[in-house]
Amino acid sequence: MADLNISMTVNGRSVEKTTAANSRLLDFIRNDLNLTGSKEGCGAGECGSCSVFVDGVLVKSCMVPVAKVDGAEIETVEGLAPRRQMTPVQRAFHKTGASQCGYCIPGMVMAATSILRENPQADLQEIKQGLGGNICRCTGYQKIFEAVELARDVINGKVPETALDEDEVGDSFVGANVRRLDAPSKVTGALRYAGDMVVPDMLHMQVLRSPHPHALIKSIDTADAEAIAGVEAVVTAADISGDGEFGVFVHDQPTLAAGKVRYVGEAIAAVAAESEVIAREAVKAIKIEFEELPAVFDPKIAMAEGGPVLHDYAQDNVTYHVPIRKGDTEKGFAEADVIVEQDYDTQPIEHAYLEPEAGLAYEEADGTITVHSPSQNITHHRHALSRILGMPINKVRMIMSPVGGGFGGKEDMHYQGFLALAALKACRPVRYVFTREESIIASAKRHGFKVRYRMGLKNDGRITATEMHMVSDGGAYGCSTEGVMRKSAILAAGPYNIPNVKIDAIGVYTNNTPAGAMRAFGALQSQFTTESHLDICAEKLGLDPFEIRRINMMQNGAITHTKQKLGAVSIGQVLEEAGKVSGWEAGAPIVRGPTRSDLGRDGNREPCTLVPRYTSPETPEEEVA
Amino acid sequence: MLDCDQYLLPQSLDEAFDLIATHGSASQLVAGATDLLPWAREGRAGDVHIPVLIDITRIPDLNGVSKEGNRIRLGAATVFQKFLKDPILREHAPVMPHVAVWFADDQLRQSATIGGNLVNASPAADGTPGLMALDAELVLFSRADGERRVSVTEFPTGPSKSVLRDGELIIAVEFDSASGYGASFEKVGHRRSLVISTVCAATALKLDASGEKFEDVRIALAGVGPVPVRLSECEDALRGKPVTAAVIEAAANLPLDRVQSRTRQDYRREVVVNFVRRGIVDALASVGCDIEPSETRELETANG
Repeated sequence: MADLNISMTVNGRSVEKTTAANSRLLDFIRNDLNLTGSKEGCGAGECGSCSVFVDGVLVKSCMVPVAKVDGAEIETVEGLAPRRQMTPVQRAFHKTGASQCGYCIPGMVMAATSILRENPQADLQEIKQGLGGNICRCTGYQKIFEAVELARDVINGKVPETALDEDEVGDSFVGANVRRLDAPSKVTGALRYAGDMVVPDMLHMQVLRSPHPHALIKSIDTADAEAIAGVEAVVTAADISGDGEFGVFVHDQPTLAAGKVRYVGEAIAAVAAESEVIAREAVKAIKIEFEELPAVFDPKIAMAEGGPVLHDYAQDNVTYHVPIRKGDTEKGFAEADVIVEQDYDTQPIEHAYLEPEAGLAYEEADGTITVHSPSQNITHHRHALSRILGMPINKVRMIMSPVGGGFGGKEDMHYQGFLALAALKACRPVRYVFTREESIIASAKRHGFKVRYRMGLKNDGRITATEMHMVSDGGAYGCSTEGVMRKSAILAAGPYNIPNVKIDAIGVYTNNTPAGAMRAFGALQSQFTTESHLDICAEKLGLDPFEIRRINMMQNGAITHTKQKLGAVSIGQVLEEAGKVSGWEAGAPIVRGPTRSDLGRDGNREPCTLVPRYTSPETPEEEVA
Repeated sequence: MLDCDQYLLPQSLDEAFDLIATHGSASQLVAGATDLLPWAREGRAGDVHIPVLIDITRIPDLNGVSKEGNRIRLGAATVFQKFLKDPILREHAPVMPHVAVWFADDQLRQSATIGGNLVNASPAADGTPGLMALDAELVLFSRADGERRVSVTEFPTGPSKSVLRDGELIIAVEFDSASGYGASFEKVGHRRSLVISTVCAATALKLDASGEKFEDVRIALAGVGPVPVRLSECEDALRGKPVTAAVIEAAANLPLDRVQSRTRQDYRREVVVNFVRRGIVDALASVGCDIEPSETRELETANG
């Protein structure tokens, strides 16, 4: 590959460098200039984490071949705030709490800067449109909009600059607007995530992943890959000296596939090489013979007899079954005036954190292995690493790098084991950064549930019995399934007094992508069905949906279905407040619609949202000349 | 990952044709690169090695916007954001700003070119129906054949296929000024923004001096078949007719079957009727003529 000579101005300084002909502007500023404030979230022009100015125009640097902008003037997020003197935009992001995980924030700050440079009077609609190319997964955007409006008003003198200062905290921090300690490092792009970390002599990792959902591995031949110049280590299951199988509850997941693959995207071999390009070439040179096996993708079919079996220890493909029994549901159904049955399906969900998984591993002088990664469960990961590597725990160090969004998705371990193995085998630091595509195919998702619901009720709305049979798709490995089943079962019937309860939460192995932790850990799925079901029951009984909940809700001192004594129970207050802010008009679901008196008056109601931290004043507080 | 041995930026047409002659099939032309880079990724083309990439965006003949008499010419390397910012284009190509706001986002619009959008010949290209509603002509040029002109409607011949010959470039796009035309662009995709169209419709129309009759109507659709199409039957049904909800409704409901897509035909048929109706109503509104459509069922609009 021929190299390019690039000369340009970056953040006011002249830069002359030689770089690879296929470099994108993002590669150049991150790798050649080590300006890592610009992030790679997708590599496909979708997310905007890489937004930079080229000759004053905001572009997505992952979509710009660097040769195109030879001679141009580039401004990155680092250039906005030389010597850490934050701009009003950055200070406003700090003030309003607009940076959470922070990974999208450099791009957001750049887009906000672009909007206000172009039109310092931009209204909210223009702000929203101008941020249209930038994705955030944490904030729900509201705080970001508030930040841009605050910055605009400060720049225009509509509010004083002191509006950017931290609010004073009175007697209590509860309810106070407190700024995040790490926000300045996020809004300036100074914070280094694992994929931004660079150490001398560092190698780059790429991974060979299974193209098959279920197959035996007959042989792996890495000789050609190892012969490629620049390849320093190729690791497979054969390199694992410790106990290669790990997991949060059941140790069923191999560090690298051993003898068998169970889902498309499962890691089989990893290459550490001098460059990502060489590592990719080496991955293609690894020869594997597979023998495809029948695969199963539906958890209900997986539970049936005679189908494919994923793990020898679980011939029924059941990962974990949580049964809850309280009272006598048959008696409860016999007492009911009406029995309402309904099936519910929920889908698997990708967390889609803006920061794809990444890690950096190296051996210390004393033989300690250190792994940096955005792990949401470092102690567990450290113990798992110790077992995988066959090393004592005091020789294993896990450092939690800044998590660029997790939502539970970085709780289940996937890649840290083979990353550490490669660093030990190569005797050099190794960094591994997932592509967005890898992040989607390889790491754990939210469990999809199939719920069969049966509820008995009296005509007055009292629930006499609840029966929930929940089968969930755990995918190829256990990961957090056991815990997800427990939580989904414990919370399934909801905060309602029900004398007779029968719940089964069953996690099942399939050849789908493994399912793991995700926000609310299974409770979301079961609660979705229970609350949907209550709405359906309210409709059938002609009751107001709030009323049916009030009739059944637990009170202070209630005992839950799993025999936990509760102190204060707040569902009554929650219902009252929800009714108030939603502008609820009492009545059964069947009378909603055209009869609602609050519709047709003054247009639409304002959507219910949290109290904003910043609202633009109607009139200027002080006139500025 | 897109890999190349050389990334070349010819500064003139002559230099570009020299490079094409030298590198032949080992080379590929690049304009905005916003389709090429996402294409060379896992799940699509995967790792792609193209020995020589020839970037044509710096060639002066492919850049610039000019007006001579009633004729507008823009270089093929014009980026989509220009349709929103350039005063000549805003005035004389009134349909294109509507196209542009639906096209990717502000940042990608600074890279993506109109020529690239045409050459890709996607059945769902956003730019092509917009130019069709302008009755645009494409200026093609090759060393062997010199210059030739082709109507934008004749240009695409199928998915990723066009009348463009080997060694030929789109140099420019030309059209007669549509100043004063009402215009609109309707688009629906799997999500609101940054999305490829499932169906899109571009409309440009002009009222007669009385302001009560349609004098000229041009409607083009994409996403409904292998190539974007003009709805000449609808246009004929409107031309010379009074501007009323009933006339619009009749035109929208003409028993046309232009939907020849491979998937979701019933859905697209419904969208087409709604888009023709709303496209006309929105285009009328853009020149201050408000008509309440007789059919109230509307799909959600994104950009209002």
